[in-house]
Amino acid sequence: MVFGLALLAGLWWWIGQSKMGYTFHAVICQPIVMALPFGIVAGDIGTAMQIGASVEMVYLGMVAAGANIPADECLAGCISIPIALTTGMDPATAVTLAVPFGLLGVFQDQIRRTLQAAFAHKADQYAAEGNTKGIDRCATVYPLALGFVLRFPIVFAAIYLGSDVVQKILDVIPEWLTHGLAVTGATLPALGFAITIFIIGKNIYLPFFILGFFAVQYLGISTMAAAIFGTCMALLITFLRRENASA
Amino acid sequence: MGLTVEQEVVEQTPEMGKTLTKRDINRSFYRWYLDAEVPNCYERQQGVSFCYSMIPCLKKLYPEKEDLSRALTRHLNFFNSQGTWSTPIHGITLSMEEEMANEGAISDAAVTGIKTGLMGPLAGIGDTIDWGTLKTIIYGIAVTFGAAGNVLGAIIPFAFMLITFFIGKNLWGLGYKIGKESVKSILEAGWIKELISATSILGLFMMGALSASYVTLSTALQFQVAGTEIVLQDILNSIAPGLLPLAAVFGIYYILKNKTQKYGRISLGIVIVCILGALIGIF
Repeated sequence: MVFGLALLAGLWWWIGQSKMGYTFHAVICQPIVMALPFGIVAGDIGTAMQIGASVEMVYLGMVAAGANIPADECLAGCISIPIALTTGMDPATAVTLAVPFGLLGVFQDQIRRTLQAAFAHKADQYAAEGNTKGIDRCATVYPLALGFVLRFPIVFAAIYLGSDVVQKILDVIPEWLTHGLAVTGATLPALGFAITIFIIGKNIYLPFFILGFFAVQYLGISTMAAAIFGTCMALLITFLRRENASA
Repeated sequence: MGLTVEQEVVEQTPEMGKTLTKRDINRSFYRWYLDAEVPNCYERQQGVSFCYSMIPCLKKLYPEKEDLSRALTRHLNFFNSQGTWSTPIHGITLSMEEEMANEGAISDAAVTGIKTGLMGPLAGIGDTIDWGTLKTIIYGIAVTFGAAGNVLGAIIPFAFMLITFFIGKNLWGLGYKIGKESVKSILEAGWIKELISATSILGLFMMGALSASYVTLSTALQFQVAGTEIVLQDILNSIAPGLLPLAAVFGIYYILKNKTQKYGRISLGIVIVCILGALIGIF
């Protein structure tokens, strides 16, 4: 099972962060989505989905503005979900394992985007020759091949050899540290949401944030309910404004 | 589809020798959707994939090797925008290339100018609507299913893919159809402003709701005052529930807005504060 999970994780990170399909890759890179295939291989779909959901929460609000990814949720999921499944780790601890890898993934992306300048230069050369096949290769085959070398071996080895190591580390880390990591995992989603507020950038609408926040705190409504009420509110304001403008 | 191709062929006038068909336009979009971020590098960002998406159309428009080579070089330039809402730019570019190939009235600089001028504003729209609002709501709903161990959690996110694919494909065609005036008209049209303000409202409301659900921070501090034990968290709760998570979100927002947008540094800071806080017993 560990071998199968290691293989799947390595391939998933490679395919996912190769970013084929603009929003397709964005979807398969989500921990909650990859949890299903990991769960199928491990034979425990329910647990895998719960772990995937916990890890997903950290990255829920993250926006990669200007293609600068704040964290690599794909690597975070590809490492934490398989290891949590093989070591029987609970979802909260899996999150704390995910976080450092999410940050490491950013460095990997920086390496990739630095190296890929070589393909752009190669493409310049092909353009000068009018060689469209060559540009096709620079845009697809070369980045995919580089991605395989950069991604597959690390994750495969980390899962295949790392499960035991992680188990041993988990056995010896002190209680305050596990607690601290759990606090970290529960606080980090705040970064994602703050980034989204920043991206939306409409300060006059900030009361809507407060409204949504306390709707859940006081009334305990679900995410689905919030989406329904929020949509109605947004539509009402838009329509009323339009009515006022025409009146 | 077959009908449209025939129509296009019929519409060709002798001097308008090189016309792009609907099939060419769509094919070009599929190449963009597939490849937009694949060859991304710091130097050109999406430049290589922009060129890659144009190739089938450019090959048709410029049978002479020298012209083709110039067109390819032109589109390898720096380009960076949001992948689905930037597509009117690609559509316009195709219509401009078509004009250039047939009449030669448009210059290289005009095409590059349109591309670089529009990529910023459209990226802003795309980031707000797709990544800021739509994505977060759909994944947020998926998480509630996933947390209960439900497989739907892994299926629901694909709705985001379908919606954005649909938006991108249609804006691409729209851009081609109404040509270079299109994005100006889109940006100035009332509906796009309404769409942005509506999604901003919905987005912020949802960020609030999701923050309340998923950011859980509480303090473990206790004091002995005149023999009675005072639990700080109880006092905070009696004022309003969730004050610490709210403070965390706005604190980070303040840092993003006024100090730094280096995400890595901020997340490391959060990790350090949380672990130190746990060590000395604040959390």
